[in-house]
Amino acid sequence: MKGENEVQKILVVDDEDILRMLIEDTLEELEDVQIHTAEHGKEALEKLAADRFDLVILDYMMPEMTGVEVLGQLDEALKAATPIMMLTAKAQDTDRIRAQEAGARYFMPKPFSPMELLQIVEDILREQN
Amino acid sequence: MNRTKFANLSIRSKYFRIISAMFVVVVLTAAGLLLYINSEQHKLSRERELLQNKAQTINELAVTLNDVFFRARGYTALKNENELELAYEALAKLGTVLGDYSRLKLSPEEAQFRSDLQSFSIQYGNETLPQAVAFVQKDDYEGVRALSKAGNTEKVNNFLAYTKDYKVRADQLLSDMVRQAIRQSNMFTFAAFTLSALLLVLFTLIIWRILRTLVNPIIKLEAAAHSLAAGEAVLLGELHTQDEIGRLYGAFLNMARSIQDKEEELTMQNEELHAQQDELHDQQFRLERSLSEIESMMVALNQSSAVAILSPKGIFTYVNENLAQYTGYKAEEIVGHPYRLFELRNLASVQMEEMRRKLGTGMVWSEELLMDAKDGTPLWLHTTVMPYLNDEGAIYQYILIASNITSVKKVQQELAATLTRTEETKIMLERSNQLNHDITYTLDKQEFAGRFIDFMNGQFAFDSSLFLLAEGGIVAAKGIPPEIVERYLHEEGNMLYRMQTEKSYITERPATSLEQGISPVQLTAYDYYTSVVNAEDEILAIFCGTRVGASFSAEETNEIQGLMNRVALAIDRLYMVEEIEHARKLNLDIINNVAEGIQFIELDGTMGQMNKALSQMFQYAGWKEGNRLPLAVWLEHLLGQVKESGELRNFYTQAISAAFPDSGSMKYSLDRDSLKHMDVYAIPVFRREERFGTLFVHRDITREYELDQMKSELVSTVSHELRTPLSSVLGFTELLLNRTMKPEKQQKYLQTIHREAQRLTDLINDFLDLQRMESGTQQYSPEKLNLSELVLGVIEQYKLGSTHHILYEDEAEYSGVEADRNKLIQVLTNLLSNAIKFSPGRGEIKVKLRNEPGVITVEIQDNGLGIPPDQIGQLFQKFRRVDNSAAKRIGGTGLGLAICKEIIEKQNGTIGMESAEGEGTTVWFRLPVLQPEPAGQEEELLKWSSEKEEKPSVMIVEDDYSLSLLLSEELKGKGFRVMHHYHPQQAFEQALKTPFVAIIVDLMLGEELDGWDLIRMFKHDERTADVPIVISSALDQAGQALLENVRTYLTKPYPPGELSATLQEILNTSLSSGEVLFPKDPAGQPGIDRTHNFP
Repeated sequence: MKGENEVQKILVVDDEDILRMLIEDTLEELEDVQIHTAEHGKEALEKLAADRFDLVILDYMMPEMTGVEVLGQLDEALKAATPIMMLTAKAQDTDRIRAQEAGARYFMPKPFSPMELLQIVEDILREQN
Repeated sequence: MNRTKFANLSIRSKYFRIISAMFVVVVLTAAGLLLYINSEQHKLSRERELLQNKAQTINELAVTLNDVFFRARGYTALKNENELELAYEALAKLGTVLGDYSRLKLSPEEAQFRSDLQSFSIQYGNETLPQAVAFVQKDDYEGVRALSKAGNTEKVNNFLAYTKDYKVRADQLLSDMVRQAIRQSNMFTFAAFTLSALLLVLFTLIIWRILRTLVNPIIKLEAAAHSLAAGEAVLLGELHTQDEIGRLYGAFLNMARSIQDKEEELTMQNEELHAQQDELHDQQFRLERSLSEIESMMVALNQSSAVAILSPKGIFTYVNENLAQYTGYKAEEIVGHPYRLFELRNLASVQMEEMRRKLGTGMVWSEELLMDAKDGTPLWLHTTVMPYLNDEGAIYQYILIASNITSVKKVQQELAATLTRTEETKIMLERSNQLNHDITYTLDKQEFAGRFIDFMNGQFAFDSSLFLLAEGGIVAAKGIPPEIVERYLHEEGNMLYRMQTEKSYITERPATSLEQGISPVQLTAYDYYTSVVNAEDEILAIFCGTRVGASFSAEETNEIQGLMNRVALAIDRLYMVEEIEHARKLNLDIINNVAEGIQFIELDGTMGQMNKALSQMFQYAGWKEGNRLPLAVWLEHLLGQVKESGELRNFYTQAISAAFPDSGSMKYSLDRDSLKHMDVYAIPVFRREERFGTLFVHRDITREYELDQMKSELVSTVSHELRTPLSSVLGFTELLLNRTMKPEKQQKYLQTIHREAQRLTDLINDFLDLQRMESGTQQYSPEKLNLSELVLGVIEQYKLGSTHHILYEDEAEYSGVEADRNKLIQVLTNLLSNAIKFSPGRGEIKVKLRNEPGVITVEIQDNGLGIPPDQIGQLFQKFRRVDNSAAKRIGGTGLGLAICKEIIEKQNGTIGMESAEGEGTTVWFRLPVLQPEPAGQEEELLKWSSEKEEKPSVMIVEDDYSLSLLLSEELKGKGFRVMHHYHPQQAFEQALKTPFVAIIVDLMLGEELDGWDLIRMFKHDERTADVPIVISSALDQAGQALLENVRTYLTKPYPPGELSATLQEILNTSLSSGEVLFPKDPAGQPGIDRTHNFP
């Protein structure tokens, strides 16, 4: 268990610069939280292998490697330990199911409300603490 | 080599050599030994002689010395002169003896002794003796005594003692020598003995060896000879020597082998003889058996048939009871008579000849013979005659065997008579039957008519006939020339007229010459006309027949009328069948031409029918109409090709079962190269309220399925594409609303929102555009356009403010197209902006126009990111973008290329691209070109292909696009390849790369560099210094300060023809030294001055 003052880390994976910026800016209000970003699946996997994150926000549709494919390459223990939120513009039920099967615990359809995202992320982080 | 040679020697010579060698060795050894002994003994005897000699000499010395002293003393004592004389004599003798002695071989001691003695004798002779003589003379005996005391006497005594000692020693040595000689001779004896013993041993060895070489093989040979004699196998190995024994061995072995071979051969022959003997026994036995069989057969034959034996001349020598009984003669009456006793009534002379020939060559002859019995009754005998041959092949007798077939013959004849009578009736019946059959089973009307005519001609002996079916105008005729048939048919009105009132009638007329034939009597021809009428009194057919020379009996007329009624029924039936067949074929055609696969399954699961579409769907290549396939066969074949075979099996099972309620359907897919999606529905089929099968209809819904799939994919993609910018817009707006932030940040957010909203708008516009195009609601307004002009116009728009240099290369001689101007501009803008977008940083973009047969090709080439080869094909589809991060960052709606494709294809063009990842992309499109002179098209094509390489290149550096276009059109028309540049630096670089025949420079170019700068650059670089330059400027040449450096000057506006004429001149005169040309000025002054060189 982590101490109250310890810094928590979030990894934001999205191929759209603007959306990464939006999420970063949204979450910047959180205290003691470090935000890391990755531009594509490969970078995300590298960062996940190197560091432990308290939350991963993962875009579904990305070139070369989709969010589900990223999850497919993560090992089960890491997935069980790390809360994963799938962000997707494909708000269909099949995508939600696919994301869940791949190991994503949370699901956020695009377009999303930054305030809502902030609220959920806060809750998840508190839970993690 | 030596060994083989040695081994090859014969034993005799081998041993001869050995013995000779040994003899030589022994003789040499013995001789050597003898010589040695001899020399040893000789040496010994010499030594002894020497020693004896020495001893004698020394002894003599001692005697002489003694004598000397004796005489000297005698003189001294007696004073006798004689004594003195003797003393001198002795002294002289001593000298002689000493001389002898010194000649001997002396040891050093002896030599010392000799020299001592010599010096003493000399001294004595010369001094002592004369002194003593003197003393004696003086009688000084004191002196004599003193002298003797002086040592002489002692010396003499020493000498004497030495000689005595020496003698003793010499004796000793002599005896030693003798002993040694004895010992030596002993040794020699022993050596001689040893030598002889060795010799003996050697000889023994040789003899033993000879014995072994000779005797051993002989013993073996003996044993082998014994075993050979005993008939056993000769176990004698090959002896590998070539000597006598070896050869003997070889000879023996050969002999033994040949004996054995002979023996085997003999044994085999013996066995063969035995076998032959057995076979003979066997044959004998069989012969005996067959003999007995023959005997019993003979007995049987004798009892059942007539048997006779004839002599070679044909005289009966034996006749059995049966023959006698058949012929009615007694046996004795026949024997002794020739065969001609019986006259053969049914044999012609040819057959008799044949009989004689056959029998003469020893063959069996058999025939049925008719003859008279004794009582004159006819007798039929089935007779067989066999000639018997003796050893020389000559016939010695004939055996005749005959059986009585008289009664059989009689019955046969009676039967034949009956048969002939029934035959005629049978033919009539058969014809009638055939007609019945024909009219019942023939479904083809023409065939029916033909057969009917045949029947009528056969049955009623019509010479010519005609049968006409009213419906369809089918005619069958026999014996009537076609033109007459034609006439009959076209004048049928007359015929039918009478037919309507009279069902049938007969006309009588004289036969025509054709009908008359060769008959000498005038014949009458009877024509029979009759109609075939159905129950409704409609005439179905007409029959006309002509019979020459015989009229028709009432019986025949009745028969024909009855026949016509039957034919009427048959024709009715024929029409009915035809109708049914037609309907069936129609149904079948309908079914087979339906795109859906249809199958009819009976209640037990048998497939009774399927259509062509179904057999193609499931690849039933061998299926033919009418085949009935059992359930297991067709269902397994079908399911084998289906992915969802389990579900489909269930569906079929339920649908076929009687409990199947109404109808049902299911979807499945066929496992082919490309998956085929199918839909099948089943309907129960009822006949008179009774279910008798199920109809299955299969429909290929692949297209619908794919469309459906594409639609849902499109919806999903569009939703994704729209949601992403929407996320940004909504998200940033929300942040702006909910947070307080610095104005710069607000600004940034607002910009982002604006950009994303713009992207959203573009996306929606593009999407709607595309949707409109695809749905066909897009209106195109084609007009005649100059594509060169259009392209240049679009490039013009990009020229300002673009980071990318756009190079325009126009080779197209014909650039007229018929297309929608705005749409083409949209395409060009789209492609150009893509090229710019996907080559980040600065880069050169080339736009090329060229003609290919019948088309104009526009190429837009960049040196940008390029496209992975596997994605090229997809890029013209909707929402396809190059799927990598670099391209992602650049962005875009992913609809541009799809729109371009849609537009170009709507203008009857094609679009495509080539690309290498990391190197750049070339997108091209082709449009049909409008040909100004269609007649010359082929020639032009040739010109294009052959002259492409040789077209002279010209560069225009001009920033006014309309002028540029004007010049370019003019030059292209004159066969130049034109390249456009508007940027001086780029133009310069281009000139370094491409050899130009001339460069046309506008003086007013840009802000950084103007035309003069460019000309300076060209002229100062040695690579371009030689290229002729033509100046085109709006400024009057007089107003230019730099004019002295310029020799070619065109003042705008000038007719384009002037420029091309100038260039033509450059080409014609092949100027290459950099001379600059002036075109003709309007005043008509000579415009070309070649004297001035550019500095």
